[in-house]
Amino acid sequence: MSIHLNSFVLADPKKCIGCKVCEVACAVAHRSEEIKTVGNMDIPVMPKLYLVKTADVTMPIQCRHCEDAPCANICPVFAITQIDNKIIINEESCIGCKTCMIACPFGAIELAPAFKDGKPVFQSLLTFDSEEELSSKQAAVASKCDLCNDRLNGPACIEACPRQALTYVNVKKEKQRRCTETASKTGANIKNLIV
Amino acid sequence: MVDKDTDIIKIDAELCTGCRRCAEVCPVDAIEGKQGTPQFINVEKCVMCGQCIQICSAYASIFEEYRTSREDKLRERNMPVTLEEPIFAAYNIGDLPKVKEALTNTEAFTMVQCAPAVRVAIAEEFGMPLGSLAPGKLAAALRQLGFNRIYDTNFAADLTIMEEGSELVQRITEGGLLPMFTSCCPAWVKFVEQEYPELIPHLSSCKSPQQMAGTMFKTYGAQADGVEPDNIYSVAIMPCTCKKFESQRPEMNTDGYQNVDAVLTTRELAYLIKEAGIDFSSLPEEDFDKPLGMYSGAGHLFCATGGVMEAAIRTAYELITNEPIPNVNIQYVRGSQGVRRGVVHAGDVKVKTVVVSGLKNVVPILEEIKKGNADFHFMEVMTCPVGCVSGGGQPKVLLPKDTEIAYKNRISSTYRHDEEQTYRKSHENPEIKAIYKNFLGEPLGHKSHHLLHTEYKQRGYCK
Repeated sequence: MSIHLNSFVLADPKKCIGCKVCEVACAVAHRSEEIKTVGNMDIPVMPKLYLVKTADVTMPIQCRHCEDAPCANICPVFAITQIDNKIIINEESCIGCKTCMIACPFGAIELAPAFKDGKPVFQSLLTFDSEEELSSKQAAVASKCDLCNDRLNGPACIEACPRQALTYVNVKKEKQRRCTETASKTGANIKNLIV
Repeated sequence: MVDKDTDIIKIDAELCTGCRRCAEVCPVDAIEGKQGTPQFINVEKCVMCGQCIQICSAYASIFEEYRTSREDKLRERNMPVTLEEPIFAAYNIGDLPKVKEALTNTEAFTMVQCAPAVRVAIAEEFGMPLGSLAPGKLAAALRQLGFNRIYDTNFAADLTIMEEGSELVQRITEGGLLPMFTSCCPAWVKFVEQEYPELIPHLSSCKSPQQMAGTMFKTYGAQADGVEPDNIYSVAIMPCTCKKFESQRPEMNTDGYQNVDAVLTTRELAYLIKEAGIDFSSLPEEDFDKPLGMYSGAGHLFCATGGVMEAAIRTAYELITNEPIPNVNIQYVRGSQGVRRGVVHAGDVKVKTVVVSGLKNVVPILEEIKKGNADFHFMEVMTCPVGCVSGGGQPKVLLPKDTEIAYKNRISSTYRHDEEQTYRKSHENPEIKAIYKNFLGEPLGHKSHHLLHTEYKQRGYCK
């Protein structure tokens, strides 16, 4: 049996300048219609990766597509599953309980307001008091990187980054590359040492 | 000293992440600040081209909390609070409240002009493909918004060619100061005023088409409609954020009337159309009003780099030779390279031209002129990457990978629209002929000098 490890997107904080183009590209890629200019963005920008700035580091954080995904393991309604080589949230089944958000060790999951065809999706029954009337409550669903599951050219964030700070990590190939690099760098020295 | 009117372009410190991509595109190094911290605009250096607005991708996220609410940010920017689109760190102060007030004021007779670059881009804001050509829908939208006269900057571009072309021929044949510089791009004019004041006399004394249109509205247009100039509210729809600055310049006032009262960018007009609930895509094709809305293909070319030059050559050639130009499509001035040099053989006269797009590209040429090494006659300069079609007030393209195709499509629509026109040369526009016959007299004459020409001044900031 061979193991196919899930890939993920990783940012290089040495290259990242914090411009947020990756977030915008992600939000645009997840719209059903093609959007080219800001004036056509009729719902908030809701990316599935999140730029983080600390005193020392700037980089976007996104889902690692864990092999034993804590979010999938804990989801009470089985809305998170492994599909092909990705961990995917089924937003239709999600009840917005936020358990996955807490379970994720990376903070890669956000609860985003739900929209369909540019209009807010309201909950069927739940209401709340506002200005002396009962209002419907907008649905919120768990949202995280799906590696641009439906996109031919792969993750939009990688393509959009103006500094090439994002890479698609194929874990097995990456491990092999690192092993080969170590062998060529240090192998000869060790050989001499042993002789 | 900081001129309050130059404080049009701003960066929201709450939203700016300090990536400094704006500083990279700023042609005058006016954006200051450390990497990773909010940036500041040096307003004295800033030429208000708005390229920082176009490139900024640091947006206000719904997942973060800010001290200032989205509604307050929209109000600070003079954007409608009902607007759904995201807001970014770099922005311009808008003029919508002033225009909305004029549109509801029953005393005001509103005349609107529309720059050529607007009709090749505004449809993008309503889901149509990049560079969709929409002059008819644009005119219809402006009419539905309630403007009393739907006029056109293109008409004034034709007028500019008459004046500027004549000025060039006069400088060449009578030994005036050469090379002559175009003065249509307000950011370029401000740049010369602050960075190269010794070269100010090289600028054409012509006002820009925006200002010429404004002057004509309150004189010739007022006569045509039997309206008092006092009651005319003159609005310009522009692809450019610096046109707001230009319209407020004290030099742009004739007989006590400011030529242009308010300027909206292409994006601001899109906000207004959306707020009014007008379905742009399904609007009928309508015409601009006459007389100040009739234009030639040459006038329309002003929105692309090389366009003023091409329009000027079409007319100057005929002024010099008294013969029709063999080919109206002057390919060598077109393109996207930063500097394009060429020669026009007009009979025995060889007019050497230089077209520059991108303000950074002009510096070596200005140094060449200062050293006395310039051997050309006429230079067109546009501050923005490929001319006004890529201006700071144009629809903001979301992703960097799409800007090239957006600019390419807007430019190809420009040339297509030129080819669709009955008249391709400014001096053949019948309304231009009429305005000289009935009102102005002749190019560079007393009346045109009073109304259509101006002076430029050295600015406080100087390197």
